[in-house]
Amino acid sequence: MSQEIAVVGDPEFTTGFRLAGVRRFENVADEQKGTELDDAVTTVLDDEGVGIVVMHDDDLEHLSRNVRQDVETSVEPVVVTIGSGTGGGGLRDQIKRAIGIDLMEEDEEDNE
Amino acid sequence: MAEDVKPTRKNLMEIEDRIDLSERGHGTLEKKRDGLIMEFMDILDKAQDVRGELSDDYEEAQKKINMARAMEGDVAVRGAAAALQEHPEITTESKNIMGVVVPQIESSRVSKSLDERGYGIMGTSARIDEAAEAYEDLLESIILAAEVETAMKKMLREIETTKRRVNALEFKLLPELYENQEYIEQKLEEQEREETFRLKKIKEKKEQEEREEREAEADAAADEPEMEQATAGGVPGN
Repeated sequence: MSQEIAVVGDPEFTTGFRLAGVRRFENVADEQKGTELDDAVTTVLDDEGVGIVVMHDDDLEHLSRNVRQDVETSVEPVVVTIGSGTGGGGLRDQIKRAIGIDLMEEDEEDNE
Repeated sequence: MAEDVKPTRKNLMEIEDRIDLSERGHGTLEKKRDGLIMEFMDILDKAQDVRGELSDDYEEAQKKINMARAMEGDVAVRGAAAALQEHPEITTESKNIMGVVVPQIESSRVSKSLDERGYGIMGTSARIDEAAEAYEDLLESIILAAEVETAMKKMLREIETTKRRVNALEFKLLPELYENQEYIEQKLEEQEREETFRLKKIKEKKEQEEREEREAEADAAADEPEMEQATAGGVPGN
């Protein structure tokens, strides 16, 4: 089954992706992120036609605890975050829990 | 708990079978866990490369779109974005790594030629084309990152489950089984010692009885000649 890529974020963030042809997008203005971002993310996560969700790293801060957990653990669709951070916040914790050591630590130190 | 099992030989044999099976299972699961971790390490290296590329592409794409916005205005960029007709699609196939089904994402219509984009050539400038191209490259990186990160998440989940199973066997099930085995063995040994002791006692008692019987017989036999003598001595007197 073919699926689509979805983008969630402020209009400035989504415009670029729309320029690349992405038609599934949820625009949430900066001032409404606290209230509307949760719903927008839940809508795309529940959509079976969406295979990949693209979000900005900083937007994760606006999500409620439950939705954020869904975003970090969701496999279908998978959420890819881009932006300032390393994009592996939840993944890093998961690695620490599963393997027992923080494998991402040394790489961050290298980057510094 | 050890007190819950009946100390019978049948139970002991059953427990020994279970220990055998659990030890084999524990070994196999440990190997699976180690194998998964090794596979995971490979994927992690790949993921870090992909992440690096992704942030470079994102920076590049942002630069390009900001330039387009500055030169053409936000409205023109949005207008071009709204005119796009070809949409990228992804299809997912699966690959099996040690029992973990990880996706392989195939994408189509991500990179488009100028005339496929649909916003026209005349109305827009090269800045918008560059921005669109940069975002197409970014989408390719995102698709790759999605594939690798899904694989990582799935493998981490499997590693966690396997680790939990190994620990449950190592620290809960096997110690309990060993405890039960020891308990039954001790109980059976104790029963055996009691049995031996009982047999000894019975044997002693029997020997004692036999001895008493023999003594009684001997006494009886010793008394008889006296009686005979007494009767024999009495007859001539009559």
